[in-house]
Amino acid sequence: MKQSQRAAYNSFFYLIFAPALLLILFLTIYPISSIVYDSFFRYDFISNTREFIGLQNYSRIIGEELFQRSFTNTLIFTFVASTLEVILGVFFAFMLQRKFRGKRISSLIIIFPMIISTMVICAVWQTFFHYEIGLFNFILGKLGLSPVGWLTDQHVALFSVILVDIWQWTPFAFLIIQAGMSSIPSDIFEAAQIDGANRRQISFRITLPILSSQILLVLMLRTIDTFRLFDKVYALTGGGPANATQTLSTFIYREGFSFFNFGRASSASVLTLFVVAFLALFYVRSLLKEDN
Amino acid sequence: MKRLSIVVAIALLLIPSAVFAGGAQETGVTTLTIAGRDGAYGDAMELAIASYQEANPNVEFELLKLSGSELKEQSVIELRGGTGAFDVILIDDPFLTQLQEAGWLADLDALYQEKGLSIDEDLVENMVNIGRYPYPNGKLLALPHVGNVALFAYRQDISKKYGVDKFATWTEVLEVAKKIKANEGGMTPVLFRGVQGNPIVTGFLPIYWAFGADILVDGKPAFNTPEALNALEYFLELAKYAPEGVTAYQSAQVSDALLAGTAAMAIEVWPGWIGNLENPELSNVVGKVKIAAHPGQVNQSSSMIGAWMVGIPKDSKNIDAAFDFLLHLTSAETQEAIARETGVPPTRHSVHQIADLVASYPWYPAQLDGQKTGSVRPRTNYWSEIESVFGDYLQRALVGNLTAKQALNEIQTRVAEIVE
Repeated sequence: MKQSQRAAYNSFFYLIFAPALLLILFLTIYPISSIVYDSFFRYDFISNTREFIGLQNYSRIIGEELFQRSFTNTLIFTFVASTLEVILGVFFAFMLQRKFRGKRISSLIIIFPMIISTMVICAVWQTFFHYEIGLFNFILGKLGLSPVGWLTDQHVALFSVILVDIWQWTPFAFLIIQAGMSSIPSDIFEAAQIDGANRRQISFRITLPILSSQILLVLMLRTIDTFRLFDKVYALTGGGPANATQTLSTFIYREGFSFFNFGRASSASVLTLFVVAFLALFYVRSLLKEDN
Repeated sequence: MKRLSIVVAIALLLIPSAVFAGGAQETGVTTLTIAGRDGAYGDAMELAIASYQEANPNVEFELLKLSGSELKEQSVIELRGGTGAFDVILIDDPFLTQLQEAGWLADLDALYQEKGLSIDEDLVENMVNIGRYPYPNGKLLALPHVGNVALFAYRQDISKKYGVDKFATWTEVLEVAKKIKANEGGMTPVLFRGVQGNPIVTGFLPIYWAFGADILVDGKPAFNTPEALNALEYFLELAKYAPEGVTAYQSAQVSDALLAGTAAMAIEVWPGWIGNLENPELSNVVGKVKIAAHPGQVNQSSSMIGAWMVGIPKDSKNIDAAFDFLLHLTSAETQEAIARETGVPPTRHSVHQIADLVASYPWYPAQLDGQKTGSVRPRTNYWSEIESVFGDYLQRALVGNLTAKQALNEIQTRVAEIVE
């Protein structure tokens, strides 16, 4: 291609790319910069008063026990939920890799939780978790065990919320892994079988390494999503008991929409954004490495 | 080709005009948009709208039925924007101060004067004053629509067995709770909403006030006082007689247990929760539960008012029509119909005296008394934050993370930071 042709090609490329770029800049960069800007102010949305206080919002909220608790809870939730969802997703994908009667209906059943509204799921699980009339404590009672405060015991509540998230989002991991699996050419497996590889060797030495980019992708998507956990906490525990299920999102919501302290809410959002961006960057780099 | 282009251009020009023509109002028709609540309050508003439209067919309504938090968020966003999107808004009374101070509500005193009217004395004065800013003598910016008052519920058939017909003090409540636990197998001695934040604070406040404690004194927090400590220590002692999972109890759990007859006392009930208490189809305890004002302790009993007020945003484009609807909504006829159909408590003296309503809702005398003499939560812009901190540490004390003293010291420090 001649240089003039390449220049024309590049100009055309930038021209068609420009509207999308401008839109992305407007919808992403503008809100983020406005949040960063607000985070340096004591900003009461109702009285519309702003007072520049530098980094005070940051230093205050980082020093607050509630913020620290919310941050720790978010990290625990993100790590446990996303890891287990991916492990279970891989497990189900392997289980359904084989041909068997009822495979289609099994896939449908596995996918089902993902298509229900989160609020409906929370309402159902809330009845399962009920201390006195809930299904789980009923089963424990039948087994002669003491009831558990699934949503009321501060040491258990976060894991109950994790359980609901795993139930709802494992299907998502399953779907992506299964799609990856079905794209692997069958002759690879046939060749491995001819070479004498057993099922375990095929799974661990062939299938899983081939699926590593899909697994990484699901892990990234679930990590980012679980890090923003809000709806389940809002519907199941309201952040309690004793802040045992407060997360960064509920902290931001509380500051922003219960107290209308937009300065503090903005600084908490910026901190959250940093962590999510760092996680995303880590995964994207790993994915790009895989691609190379 | 040229002709085709002209036809397409004309068609494109006509589409927007057709679309906008469809959105135009019919001549003489006014549409009022109400930002209201869901549940029984939404049903009550619908009832008022239907009866208003019978007499005013040229007024149309758009009623938004929102949850408490949605209503608060949307009200602030719309009112701050000054869009005039809402003509009438329902406001929870502790939140009213912020809206009043922001200057977002129309002056109802001026509207009364303009129409040559005066505030009907049948409306309970103490409830009307909640709508004034500064409280309780300033300009009228909202009218009382729902006359909620926190009350105390107890199984009189059970308390009588232990020698108490009417609870005079919180000490008696604790004594009876102990006896019920010892003698009434399967019966929960005492119930309250234990969820952190507003629910637990609302349940605790009647005890807190009865023990002589205050939230703010001269604008400064007053949580680290001996009175507050006594109140919280008492509350934690009483909570030993509440169910194991009480930290997750909301209004539904409290009212279900009362209706099922599995709880002997509830330290906080609101009229909206107990509308079916005397309905034999839904209640196992018809005629057995007494709803009364809270017991006292150091101080006399002081009921807590939790009214829902109605106001008109000053940017509404239909202020006159909205005011006319407010008069209808708070009229004796509408309040009677609402009370009869939905159980939502009225704010008028006369409606509290209607014999068949009193038969259906035997707590009306206590409710009216509470409206006349009850207390409101502190009129401060920081109430939401104070309540949140108060509720967080209360619950941490309840689950045993902190002692009563530690919890109160933490509340004192955090609230001081908030109001500084």
